[in-house]
Amino acid sequence: MKKLFKWILPATTVLTSVIIYACNKQLNLQPQGSLLASNVTNNSGVQGLLIGAYVLLSGENVPGQNLGNGSGASNYVYGNEAADDAYKGSTPSDQPDAIPLLTWSLAQATQTNYLDEKWVVLFTGIQRSNDVIRTMRLSTGLAPADTLEYTAEARFLRGFYHFEGKKIWNNFPYADENISYVNNNLSVPNYSGGQYIDIWPKIVADLQYAVTNLPNTQPNIGRVNKWAAMAFLAKAFMYQHDYASAKPLLDQIIASGTTSSGVKYALSPTYQTNFDPATQKTGPEAIFQCQTSVNDGSATATNGGNGNTGDELNYPYNHGPGCCGFNNPSWNLVQAYKTDANGLPLLDGSFNNAPLVSASSNPWTGTVDPRLDWAVGRPGKPYFDWGIIDTTWIRDQTNDGFFVPKKNAYALSQQGKYSSTETVFWGAAEVAANNVNLCRYADVLLWDAECEAQIGSLDQAETYVNMIRQRAANPVGYVYLNATYDADNGTYSPQTTPGDNYKVSPYAPGAFSSMGKTAALNAIYFERRLELAIEGHRFFDLARYDNGTGTMAATLNAYVAVEKNRNSFYLVNNTAVFTKGVNEYFAIPQNEIDAENSTGTIYLKQNPGYQ
Amino acid sequence: MPKKKTGLDKLCCMLMGFLLLSCAALAQRTVTGKVINKSDQQPVRNATVLVRGTVIAAETDSSGNFSIVVPNNGSHLEISSVGFENAVVPISGKTDIGQVQLTVTLGNLNEVFVTGYTSQKKKDITAAVAIVNVADMKATPSGSTEALLQGQAAGVTVVTSGAPGAAAVVNIRGITSSGNSAPLVLIDGVPGSMHDINANDIQSLQVLKDAGGAAIYGVRGSNGIIVITTRRGLGPVKVSYDGFVGSQRPLSKSWDLATPTQTGVAKWAQAFNDGLTASDPQYGNGPTPVVPYYITPTGAPQGAPNTSLADYNLYTNHITLADQQGNNWFNDIFKPALIQEHNLSVSGGTGKSSYFMSFNYLDQEGTLIETSLRRYSVRVNTNFSLADDHIHVGENVFVFYKTNPGYLNAPGVNSTNSINAAYQLPNIIPVHDIAGNYAGGISQGLGNASNAVAIQERQANNQNRTYQVVGNVFAEVDFLKHFTLRTSAGGTFDNYFYNGFATTPYENAENNHAANLYTETYGQNSSLIWTNTLNYSNTIGKHSFSVLGGAEYIFNTGQGVNATRGNYYITDSSNLTVSPNLWTLNFGQASTQTNNSTITGDNGIVTPYQTAIFSVFGRVDYNYDQKYYISATLRSDNSSVFVPAQRNGIFPSVSAGWAISQESFLRDVTWLNQFKIRGSWGKLGSISNINPTNAYTLYGQQVNQSYYDINATSNSPVAGLYTSQYGNPNTTWEQDIITDVGFDATFLNNKFDLTFDWYKKLVSGLLFVPAVPGTNGGAVDPFTNSGNIQNTGIDVGLTYHGRVNKDLRFDITGTFTSYDNKVVSLPAGTLYINQPVGSQTVTSRIQPGHPLGSFFGYQVIGLFQSYDDVAKSPTQQDAAPGRFKYADVNHDGVIDGNDRTFFGNPNPSFTAGLNISVTYKNFDFYTFFYAQVGNDIINNVKSQTDFPQAFGNQISTNVALNSARLIDANGQPTSIKDPTAHVANPGTNVPMLEQSANFSNSGVFNSYLMESGSFLRCRNLTIGYTIVSNTLRRMRFDKFRVYVQALNLFTVTNYSGLDPELNPGTNTVFGYDNGVYPNNQKSYNVGVSLTIH
Repeated sequence: MKKLFKWILPATTVLTSVIIYACNKQLNLQPQGSLLASNVTNNSGVQGLLIGAYVLLSGENVPGQNLGNGSGASNYVYGNEAADDAYKGSTPSDQPDAIPLLTWSLAQATQTNYLDEKWVVLFTGIQRSNDVIRTMRLSTGLAPADTLEYTAEARFLRGFYHFEGKKIWNNFPYADENISYVNNNLSVPNYSGGQYIDIWPKIVADLQYAVTNLPNTQPNIGRVNKWAAMAFLAKAFMYQHDYASAKPLLDQIIASGTTSSGVKYALSPTYQTNFDPATQKTGPEAIFQCQTSVNDGSATATNGGNGNTGDELNYPYNHGPGCCGFNNPSWNLVQAYKTDANGLPLLDGSFNNAPLVSASSNPWTGTVDPRLDWAVGRPGKPYFDWGIIDTTWIRDQTNDGFFVPKKNAYALSQQGKYSSTETVFWGAAEVAANNVNLCRYADVLLWDAECEAQIGSLDQAETYVNMIRQRAANPVGYVYLNATYDADNGTYSPQTTPGDNYKVSPYAPGAFSSMGKTAALNAIYFERRLELAIEGHRFFDLARYDNGTGTMAATLNAYVAVEKNRNSFYLVNNTAVFTKGVNEYFAIPQNEIDAENSTGTIYLKQNPGYQ
Repeated sequence: MPKKKTGLDKLCCMLMGFLLLSCAALAQRTVTGKVINKSDQQPVRNATVLVRGTVIAAETDSSGNFSIVVPNNGSHLEISSVGFENAVVPISGKTDIGQVQLTVTLGNLNEVFVTGYTSQKKKDITAAVAIVNVADMKATPSGSTEALLQGQAAGVTVVTSGAPGAAAVVNIRGITSSGNSAPLVLIDGVPGSMHDINANDIQSLQVLKDAGGAAIYGVRGSNGIIVITTRRGLGPVKVSYDGFVGSQRPLSKSWDLATPTQTGVAKWAQAFNDGLTASDPQYGNGPTPVVPYYITPTGAPQGAPNTSLADYNLYTNHITLADQQGNNWFNDIFKPALIQEHNLSVSGGTGKSSYFMSFNYLDQEGTLIETSLRRYSVRVNTNFSLADDHIHVGENVFVFYKTNPGYLNAPGVNSTNSINAAYQLPNIIPVHDIAGNYAGGISQGLGNASNAVAIQERQANNQNRTYQVVGNVFAEVDFLKHFTLRTSAGGTFDNYFYNGFATTPYENAENNHAANLYTETYGQNSSLIWTNTLNYSNTIGKHSFSVLGGAEYIFNTGQGVNATRGNYYITDSSNLTVSPNLWTLNFGQASTQTNNSTITGDNGIVTPYQTAIFSVFGRVDYNYDQKYYISATLRSDNSSVFVPAQRNGIFPSVSAGWAISQESFLRDVTWLNQFKIRGSWGKLGSISNINPTNAYTLYGQQVNQSYYDINATSNSPVAGLYTSQYGNPNTTWEQDIITDVGFDATFLNNKFDLTFDWYKKLVSGLLFVPAVPGTNGGAVDPFTNSGNIQNTGIDVGLTYHGRVNKDLRFDITGTFTSYDNKVVSLPAGTLYINQPVGSQTVTSRIQPGHPLGSFFGYQVIGLFQSYDDVAKSPTQQDAAPGRFKYADVNHDGVIDGNDRTFFGNPNPSFTAGLNISVTYKNFDFYTFFYAQVGNDIINNVKSQTDFPQAFGNQISTNVALNSARLIDANGQPTSIKDPTAHVANPGTNVPMLEQSANFSNSGVFNSYLMESGSFLRCRNLTIGYTIVSNTLRRMRFDKFRVYVQALNLFTVTNYSGLDPELNPGTNTVFGYDNGVYPNNQKSYNVGVSLTIH
């Protein structure tokens, strides 16, 4: 035994040395279940990252963030509800984050989580676009043509996401590919040298690069092409009131534009084609959409997945597809669809006077624009093939009005195909593969109508508007009573009993010329509201029309003055005031100001007028 | 050809060896004697009698008698018992050595405790070590063993929830990290969890609090160390049984909520105050509210049409009576519950081996219906001595299996759990409709909350099962007199499974058609540790020293999988339930299947993962004449979670002690028996809860985050990639520098033991994921070393041993723990880091000079009394009489974001525990008090119950009766629209009832919700009686004790919520009460403990 012990000390020393050497090697452990940078610096890696950059078009699916009701692609809170198209819906306190936006609060708006969700979603899209560019620079095996194509798509997406931010906040900071966590420069300024930084030139540069370098058609219909990029470039000029730059682009799109699959742009024969998931995706009117998919394994108990999760709350209360009763169209919007004996809108503002369309007593018995019953579900009318709407479809009639949203919905016969059957936290039925129209051909026609009215010919403007009205007048596309809804083409049969006393007609030849530029523009704006209602544009259009004149404040304060005496959101929130020169843009989230300025230096400055 | 020795030969040799040893054991004789207490001449029970130089041992019986078999070469007996000095008695060939008198030591200065990789006598310890009185600790039963530490060790703060099996949060010397501040728990040298260990198996428990004790554990030491030694067998075979059975009682008083009648009046006031005409689907449209008879059909009176059972339909006519008196949802879900525990152990030690085996069964039903904890555990510890006691080998193994279903957040509902639902759901709703199905918010106008009973009952068949094996095998070789070489290989393997079924919540206001959903989760974690140490110890003259060197390798890994399916076949269409027999992943709709191997495991780490640490360490202890002590430790750690350049950390410590009472000038001071001052300084580290892949920028491919339907197929998106995480290669250890000064004193004839420590703990390079601007995008940000925090505090432990006469004795032990946390600095240039809670913008903020967790928001200074008051006050959005007036912190006349301020601190000023145990003849009495003082709580329940604009949920009685009312100049009730309106009840602090949230009521985070969280609780009161009789003795009973016990008999607090003891959410956001599973429920137990030899 003693002998054995003698050897223990030297043996231990040797053994310890071996262990130290061996164990130190055991410390180089690679991450499991993820790719490293070295795995993606190649052609397929960059392609994958580019797909990943499109994902944020939905406004959802930011890691760690579920159910971003304030960030959805449709911008319904900002575009519809904060304007005069819709109410928040549900009970007064449901989704309280929306309230300061609808009441145009100056103090509380900085605190609402909705705005921060949107901000983070947009920068996630921006950084994923930047990642494509950054990774490409480190990659090997990319042909120059690939590099050009990927860069063009990534810059389009980056421009698009910044454009969204610009629309909402105006003083939105611009993050190019040099801004990153790694570069430690995430406090991206919107303010420098005593003034806000104008990022329009950078947005235009991104979109212009895409227009120059993208092909006319693409192998995938959802991939951006030259024409879609051109539409957004034109839109950027429209927002800068630079009609001279916008018009030639719009003319070119109208003359030769095609979808990514090569279909010549045109208005679809029926209006509903754009909102029916069976027909919207391949129609000639789809310039750029947020593509959505369901039953693809993406929904989980806490995440709505790749469907249109942003609009998940925007269904009739516990009827139709189901749930929550948000984004209810306003009384004011419904009245705008009244038409006169000639089938023309009531442009003089009298549309909002009694008698009211769908009022429970003494309702309007005149004619209405048939687009009303596709944009808005109202009592007594069919909700596709889900049955006839009645007042129990409204959650809280006192505050929510009488109307339910439709454009994001789907038919009963489409349930399970275009709606999720996966097990989603909020209920699968509210997650649909109904794409969000980010830009459709009617948009382009109406922008060009504005350009023509501003710097060209009123007759040509009228032509564009009449194209849209003629399509609306097509009786094939009406809603019919006592009829069956065919979701495959978005029409009813038999077409014997129209849903209401519909009448919509084109303006008489020369009407715009005779009413003059201002009135013609007013008619174009009115047409835009009718055609694009509940599609998330109204607020931004009002801000664009305003251009410092105060028309937006006048419109919305007049709206509240009437609505606060109706069963509407403003019955309770009756002190809401839209402040001219402030509320045309939303408040920059306090979280972001706190985060960017945490060193004490002001990088991110609140928009004027917000506290 | 020489015959090669085979394995079989070796085995035969070993067997022969054992036989020989057994033969040797035959040459022996029996020695008897009696052990008594020198001071009172009473017998000493359960004293250990050991044949010196062997492991042969016996124990005295209740009369102090013992009988031991002594081998022929045995010359002395060593007699020891806790609380007495050891005695060594020569046998001198006698067979009866007569009476042995033991001297009371009072205190445990000679007891040996395991500290870092070594063991030391208490009087030789120079580090700050809290030695827990295990008997006191075990006196209060709990399904979560770590919860037992509450109030038992100075410097340790413990917070527990009442949920069966809920993990308690243990902090040593306060919150010392923004991430993980859980101490390292070592069970027989193997890192483990205290949570499920059988408390009856614990022999000793020490808490190493300072660098002197903890620095030898280097990177794992910064949160302090809990060192547990489990029991060993000794002496003749002994069987013990301990068991109790009891009844846990739900709180008799919960939230004070308004009745339906009061609620109706409040609804009318809500509208009136805002200048509107009240109307409500249930309460009608009249001038006054009418409590309905039915809530479905909406607001229907008695005898209304469509109200007979024949008219019933689950969705279209869910006929439900109104509970006109108001249903008590809390009482619906909290019921008295049974708790029982049975523990059986067998132990013994003969010759060269000893063993300890135990079996434990714990069965705790939760007072919250359908919650429970059942745990079965087994421990087997064995030791063998070989080669003339030069080699020791042994093993410790602990296995448990438990089921712990119940208290979960239910998917698919608005209220996050049943306790939230119990205060949110209006109490006009009964539990069931007339058909016996659940009633709920599908009845119009009653908010979005869920049926609390339904949430719990639907979980009744959910399972949550875990099994775990933890243990080690070790070998120890003593050689060359002073050297000991030890190797130990051990680890933990645990496996968990849980499943759950979400039934379509047909009774809810929303989401009532959602598909049903089944979820199943499996996972496993394993942790391996291999430790090798070499120790040299010697005493040369007055110089005693001990040197230790060692190396350790730890490897952790884990995997898990989570899978779901939906749309299960409904087996009971009347209430849409699915038989639990179908709860497999085969039965649902295949296309809804999801699976995922990236889950958060039950240890909080995302799977799959692997981490490793390799360390070498050393320690030197020296003392001169047991007067002057000095120790030093050094550890070098290398962790896989950092890049090689940042991987290594060196953690040194020194500690010193001076036993002044040993000095000649104090020898004659009679009142001071023992006095040692000590100090330590050292550096420790932490990897906190850092993500193991922190250094890497990672890319993911996930269907719901990077797939896009670019081909417009509506169901087949194309796979894409995304940056899932940014890496930070510069991240390295969180470092703690701890300075500790303290003393241990025994005085006044050994009656008092006092331990005092003052410390300063400076944590630098805090591992933290700072809030980065949104411009970062969605990728997960890495942990960085962001800032420094500092804790200073004092720990005091004081014990008094009292003896009135030989029958009446008592011990009183008090512990006092106080720390002061503050953030010292943040990364260069960062002024603060916001910590949002849920959807609230900012509720806590990390800022230098303020403690972690400080509440940050608008300070309410009262209510505006009139428009005149509004006009004279700083400009504030939505200011109006009856609404909050906020403090103008920066005195600029405008209330805005710059007026948000730090208005509360959730850290307690101190916590304290008081143990009193009294024995009188055969009776024993024990009580334990625990106090937490000086912390603030955000009573978030009030954000619902005090503001009906928050979703029309249930309101509190206080708000219904005491909210601000407005009157005009003539004293007539008026609305906010009246410029002469002023508050009619100016004394109230409750704002006016309103329809909608705004900046000046509930719209921003403000101090209205804050309350004091101080409390004093009588945790335990136990009376026991030990039966001593000759009959029992003849039946070989060594002990037979029965007791009755009351837990949580009373709590003294001003806090208005259920329980001011709040399980913290995180280390930076805590003190929020959203409705907790209370930990202050009374429990009445009856128990017995007995030992048979």
